[in-house]
Amino acid sequence: MTAAAEAPDTLTVDTATYTLVAQFLAHEARLLDEGREQEWFELLDDDLLYTVPSRQSTEPRDIEVNRSAWRIRDTKAHVRTRLDRQNTGHAYSEVPPSRTMRLVGSVEVHATSEPGVVAAHSSLLLYRQRGIDVHFDLIPCRRNDRIRLTAAGPRLLTREVILTETSLKTANLGVFL
Amino acid sequence: MTLTNEPPSSAPFSTPLDVLLDRVEQDMQEDLVPAEIFNNDDVFRAEMERIFTNTWVFVAHESEIPKAGDFVQRRIGLDPVIVTRDGKGGINVLSNYCRHRGTQVCQTDAGNSRFFTCPYHGWTYANDGRLVGTPLMNRAYGEPLDPNQWSLKRAPRVENRKGFVFASLSDDVPELEEWLGGGAWMLDLITQLHPDGMRVAGPPERYTVNGDWKTAGENFAGDVYHLPTLHFSVQEVDLIQGIQGTCEIGRTYEFENGHTFIGHAWTEAIHPGFTLWGYPDEYKERFDLSGLDETQRFVVDHQPPTVGTIFPNLSFIRIFSPLPDGPPAVMTSFRQWQPVAPGKLELWNWQFVWNFQDEESAQRDYVGGQYCFGSAGLYEQDDTVAWEGVARAAASPWMRKERLKFNYQQGRNSPVDDAPDPDWRGPGVHRNSGYGEHVQFNFLCQWLRMMKGESATGNGTTEGTQA
Repeated sequence: MTAAAEAPDTLTVDTATYTLVAQFLAHEARLLDEGREQEWFELLDDDLLYTVPSRQSTEPRDIEVNRSAWRIRDTKAHVRTRLDRQNTGHAYSEVPPSRTMRLVGSVEVHATSEPGVVAAHSSLLLYRQRGIDVHFDLIPCRRNDRIRLTAAGPRLLTREVILTETSLKTANLGVFL
Repeated sequence: MTLTNEPPSSAPFSTPLDVLLDRVEQDMQEDLVPAEIFNNDDVFRAEMERIFTNTWVFVAHESEIPKAGDFVQRRIGLDPVIVTRDGKGGINVLSNYCRHRGTQVCQTDAGNSRFFTCPYHGWTYANDGRLVGTPLMNRAYGEPLDPNQWSLKRAPRVENRKGFVFASLSDDVPELEEWLGGGAWMLDLITQLHPDGMRVAGPPERYTVNGDWKTAGENFAGDVYHLPTLHFSVQEVDLIQGIQGTCEIGRTYEFENGHTFIGHAWTEAIHPGFTLWGYPDEYKERFDLSGLDETQRFVVDHQPPTVGTIFPNLSFIRIFSPLPDGPPAVMTSFRQWQPVAPGKLELWNWQFVWNFQDEESAQRDYVGGQYCFGSAGLYEQDDTVAWEGVARAAASPWMRKERLKFNYQQGRNSPVDDAPDPDWRGPGVHRNSGYGEHVQFNFLCQWLRMMKGESATGNGTTEGTQA
């Protein structure tokens, strides 16, 4: 698999920046697990681009991920409408909301050529149990993020979610990754 | 068959298949359907033998394999097949089982290759299926094995109809055009609005749904009755209007062999200019409708198909949708309900765009389509979980003991005129109402005919048992 789109990806950051970004990733995961979507939404940059590109089994491996094909390609406005729909109480798949646990790990943080923006790579394992399901779903993925460091704190600028699976084993992506 | 996701054993209440099918036939006379057909081991095994290996099944769109050597891996029922474009431009549908010991010769979803080599002992096949290599041939076999006798098994029938590639694992089927019948007439008015045609916007996205393939098929045959309930939230966030009226403006198209569509009278409901699914002018200016007959012209202008199912498991949806940012999209998706196990399917979803669209316009329809119908689609998220409930009820030991029957009696005592339109000049049966569940029944009647071993031609029956 090719590296994320932003190129100069190997510049180091200081420990304080690493800690800030790692805390941010842990915090936004907790907000989503605790059903605090509005607080999570406030951590999104206005220029957010949230994508889940297509992944297939291919040979050679570096064409597995097709970055011009998507399950999801959301701007902040798309995300807003998703949350508004969930808030209607009639988004049946998430009534009641899935019980989730997001395990975030393998966090790497790098400087980028863009001032005030860092790149963060992380892995995510999302446990999901929906409604009265007796089974659970696991959604494993890697995330390539760009995070803007603002005076008010870090803001998620772009997130590229690379699903581990080619075929999802959950009935929908009604949860944020 | 996958054994890991079977419902809890219901052996004490199980019914021999033929008895069950007789009961289904009897109940369908009363517009009832035994619940257990949507999650039953015997039914599923018979579906693989009597339907999926016995009729035309969609496998690919030609835009997925444009160049020599291109291939995609697909399924016909439970069988993995490789759909290839060979060096002569021909399309082949090949079994993905090596003729020597059966190991899968293709381990990828898509790619480009002239050859497929089995990883086990190295038997090698050309992309038209011929056996072209056996390691250590002189010592192992003495002389070359006949390349055609030992080719990968080829689907006996393959046809590329205007870009849509279908294959049949039985030779004893009617011509594809005859099988599709009125369904082909409908596919033309969906996909042939421009001489350059349509293409897939990307590879199919895939995900597992713990629901039966027939539940999805009958929903997309034209279940408009669920819209005001299950999808009301989409209206609440202003991505659709007037959802309560969906049955009132529903228009059915029921064809032979179970192929079924439903449209909406958008020009009546929205405004007279809302023709052609509401496509904006920049599309309409490019469309060339000269190939359509008079009735097709009427349909695309005033009652264009919204969803439909080509029996057994290819479905379609095209809707106009405002988007949260920027101009609206008109999405087109073809999707396939791949049977995996009783009460379990894998959903394959392809967004389609017009070849004449520029990149920005095509991306808008693609992304907008995924936003509505896809694994994260605002509509589809709720469909998939509702379908899971059907399969659970179908596997319930109590409900089997009760012989639970699902109610398809809508319209029986309703004041709505859902009789066939006597003035209809197109193929099949047309009704000027979305009430009545006739479309679901058209799909299920074909299922029953094939399960009872009747000819795949269906003899042009369009109405099943329902009046």
